Amino acid sequence: MHILPGLFMLAWLSVVPVGLACAEAATEHTATIAVDGLSCPFCAYGLEKNLKKLKGIETVDINMKTGKVTVMIRPDADVDDRALRQAVRKAGFTARDITRR
Amino acid sequence: MFAWVIVFAAGLFACSGTANAGPITFNSALPVSEGVGIFRSQIRLMRKSGDSAPMNRDLAVTAVPLVLAYGASPRLALFGVLPYVEKRLHITVNGARVRREARGIGDASFFGRYTMIQIDRPGDTLRIAPFAGLKIPTGAHDKRDAFGVLPRTLQPGSGSWDPFAGLTITRQTLDWEFDAAVRYQLNTGASGFAFGDQARADVSFQYRIFPRTLKSGGVPAFTYAVLEASLIWNGKNKAAGATDMNSGGMIWHLAPGLQYVTSRYVLETAVQIPVIQRLNGSALKTDWVWTAGFRRNF
Repeated sequence: MHILPGLFMLAWLSVVPVGLACAEAATEHTATIAVDGLSCPFCAYGLEKNLKKLKGIETVDINMKTGKVTVMIRPDADVDDRALRQAVRKAGFTARDITRR
Repeated sequence: MFAWVIVFAAGLFACSGTANAGPITFNSALPVSEGVGIFRSQIRLMRKSGDSAPMNRDLAVTAVPLVLAYGASPRLALFGVLPYVEKRLHITVNGARVRREARGIGDASFFGRYTMIQIDRPGDTLRIAPFAGLKIPTGAHDKRDAFGVLPRTLQPGSGSWDPFAGLTITRQTLDWEFDAAVRYQLNTGASGFAFGDQARADVSFQYRIFPRTLKSGGVPAFTYAVLEASLIWNGKNKAAGATDMNSGGMIWHLAPGLQYVTSRYVLETAVQIPVIQRLNGSALKTDWVWTAGFRRNF
């Protein structure tokens, strides 16, 4: 009988980290792509258009000076680095590093 | 007698710059992103005068090329050019001033450009892209006026199918851009007349003058000061198998200009000023060519 509370406690402790991890995954919806070769405002449109074609991309924010493009991804969307690199390549540029928050 | 018109007209219509940002009077190698279209149009006015002969010839040409570009893949861009042209020639005949003119759709051009070399760095790109295409005879070449059939060089179209090919190189940074291009057009004949072939070499340098310093964040509009140079050679025309010794020649232009570039559109203007003109026979010399245009992506 005394063993039951202990088992409940053990079960709860084992679930909590999973729950925290899920919460963390749900907030990981920003990716910043370092784009090489972007040096003209008129060309930036193609980059924005190709990134927005990806399902789950909500906004695209291009910083011409740093060459960094920040995309907001819906929490439920599955947009991996490969898809982001492919969109950048289709726009005619080269994706270097991708960092996620 | 009107053969000198072709010296400039061919270049005026057939090689108006294409669609991506870059030079005003010729092609760049900048990308047209896959699935992106660009519409471009220009108005180009050309004036030739200063005839020392009794005919006192005077020519004005207006061309409005419409350009559509589409990114078929990250490296392959397809272009279509359809010009509207007006040519007005004033000559003195028996002491009276006479005007002969033609207007209408000119010859369309279609070509593809493939980026062979692409070296990208942060805020910097180098691209080398060959291109090839065909000018097709969509313009009339048998227009008449009260004096009869207009000379072939005054017609809106050439009547011939003319292939062309070239190579363009672009190095672009956030502060400046340099472009160079070479192009050769093999002119075939139609209805017993063939324009001389055309070869040209162009360079362009663009320097961002506003904003002077880039601030972090967003895509600001750039204003560029532009300086372009074009060396254009035209071969002699052939009519009924005979070479017209008063046609063809070489022109070197300089073109200062301004360009306003945003992420959605480009506004631009340039004035081409001839520096050296070595034309064959009794050719008229160019006074100036003014170009103004816009581009819009979609």
